[in-house]
Amino acid sequence: MDHPITSLYRDSFPDFARLVRRMGGSLEQAKDSFHDALLIYLEKEKAGTLHLHSTPKAYLLGTARICWLQTLKNKPSMPLPDTLEQSPDQPESREMEENLLRSLLRTGKKCLHLLKAFYYDNSSMQDIATRFGFNGSRSATVQKYKCLEKLRNEIKTELCAAN
Amino acid sequence: MRSELNEIQLIDRYLFRQLSTEDTQTFEASLMANGPLAERVEAQRITHRLVRLFARKEHLRRFEAIYQQLLQEPAFARQLKSTT
Repeated sequence: MDHPITSLYRDSFPDFARLVRRMGGSLEQAKDSFHDALLIYLEKEKAGTLHLHSTPKAYLLGTARICWLQTLKNKPSMPLPDTLEQSPDQPESREMEENLLRSLLRTGKKCLHLLKAFYYDNSSMQDIATRFGFNGSRSATVQKYKCLEKLRNEIKTELCAAN
Repeated sequence: MRSELNEIQLIDRYLFRQLSTEDTQTFEASLMANGPLAERVEAQRITHRLVRLFARKEHLRRFEAIYQQLLQEPAFARQLKSTT
């Protein structure tokens, strides 16, 4: 059986692609904006802030349309929560973040997966311990902080090298 | 846990606004007086941003895989073709 996202994709994307074409955009642009909208949909659903006034498809089409209009104005479509927003006096460019992430993917991929499971997927420590092969949730918690330390140190080193 | 990891835990609680008002004020006073600590806080904030960026890229990769899978379905591919 299909994953719900696959069904939603199959049901919604052709309509959105048609809309973007009518407005002079390409299939590739439609796909990028649709994927941004899917991401917003999933993140809101997970956070419990998805308030649907209509069907998931209608929500997705409306969000994708806004994302597409924003890309025309070159504005980012997915703001981060306030707590993690960059401070105004220490701007990190998108490009710098991409470079840093590439570097972390080379040296700390397992840590990225572990931290993603904890902070983004909100998996329980017990689930994380099982998935990553740790000896219980206590051990997973310590490993989480060790990973934060490792990635944080690498970021500091990269930023120093860049300056 | 060793003290460095306890500090990372404290910084996390600060970044995710889990400290009481009083503890937040105390922590922010430490930040003003302790440059290396402020640097560690900033690096930890960036780490969290990168974890989020990584997670989003993983989602986008999955969406692309779904798209490629759906393109194999004649009805879906036909609908897309009719939009061009």
